[in-house]
Amino acid sequence: MNSRTIPISVDPVQTVLDNGLKDLWYPVCPSGFVKDQPVSMKRMGRKLALWRDGAGQVHALEDHCPHRGAPLSQGVILGDRIACPYHGVEVRCDGMVTKVPGSPGCKLEGQHAAKAFHVKEAFGAIFIYNSDDYAKEPKPLVLPEELTSDAYSNFLCYAEWRSDYRYALDNVMDPMHGTFLHKQSHSMSEGDSKASFQVRETDNGFVFEKVGQRGINFDWTEWADTGCHWMRLEIPYPKTGGPGGNFAIVGCVTPINAELCAVFFWRCRKVSDWMRSTWRFLYRNRLEARHWAVLEQDRIMMEQMEPDANSRENLYQHDIGLVRLRRHLKHLAEEQVEASGS
Amino acid sequence: MSQERYLEPHQARTRMPTLFEDLLGDSIERAFGEGVTTLPELVAYLNRVGPSGERGEAWTEEGFQALMKRLGD
Repeated sequence: MNSRTIPISVDPVQTVLDNGLKDLWYPVCPSGFVKDQPVSMKRMGRKLALWRDGAGQVHALEDHCPHRGAPLSQGVILGDRIACPYHGVEVRCDGMVTKVPGSPGCKLEGQHAAKAFHVKEAFGAIFIYNSDDYAKEPKPLVLPEELTSDAYSNFLCYAEWRSDYRYALDNVMDPMHGTFLHKQSHSMSEGDSKASFQVRETDNGFVFEKVGQRGINFDWTEWADTGCHWMRLEIPYPKTGGPGGNFAIVGCVTPINAELCAVFFWRCRKVSDWMRSTWRFLYRNRLEARHWAVLEQDRIMMEQMEPDANSRENLYQHDIGLVRLRRHLKHLAEEQVEASGS
Repeated sequence: MSQERYLEPHQARTRMPTLFEDLLGDSIERAFGEGVTTLPELVAYLNRVGPSGERGEAWTEEGFQALMKRLGD
């Protein structure tokens, strides 16, 4: 909690939702953000210190020395430990204080006094397990075949939007905005603008889809929970994109704070052989810029939404996907609060 | 309080594209737009419409594939 704010009343469910649900993997940044120096970043309402050890493994602690609260990210990397710049206190990646140079043998030594996080690096991003208990085994991180299968090729697009992360989630769960907001784009001018939608259950979540329209525009979107909350959608490519499958997007949104979120869009295509490298060439040379222009339309819209816009809405049939997701996330947050006994 | 945030349109490329790459991209997109779907058709299109290979040579399937691998992968 920020010490400058004095809450009148804090709804614990709202707090969980504001900072991101617990016991899930969240992508926090592209792999390239963490190089040979420790990095500080705010994610899931917390300040994190990330660093790489000599073998390239990324570690994450709360960016708060257990001694006096100095930023560990200003410190010195000692493999899987980091030495606080302020008094040299050494903290291991699992949160244990291994050395207090100023007071050898003091009771802080050997304590798991720092908050530690499990880290995985996959598909060009660093993932953090958002848990209050490092000793608890994290769930496996499972992502969809567009990322894991060799039949697909992908590029990660990462951006930070000045918006509550839930608007970014709502935006993906609202395929109909493609027909209007992106009608001038290179791939989303076709299709019925008055479609009707249905929700279809899946093993790990649900699909929100247009009835009777597939492969014409942004016609469906999927939400899933497989140790990480992700969304998936497909948009047809224009003919100029060349042979190969539809253009698929796997998306994750990670809260930074109330005003900022981190969006991850893996742009994927089922392509092999010469079509794969040709798509990758075109993506680097020109398609990325076009996709970016479309994403900017979303960002600008999200950033212009008033923070409380979603408290005064009049929803209609096209909004049942995002309503479903909001309810589900709220329900998960309630379960977590109940389980934690607060 | 506003803070620095990351908004980088170009995350996939490591350098600016060359003029040759831009012309080649234009031509490949035009070929696809005109219905080309196979490698032999694409190579024939490039040999007919241009640009020629990096050193002025004619396109071959092998040469095109090697260049795409270098620029794409």
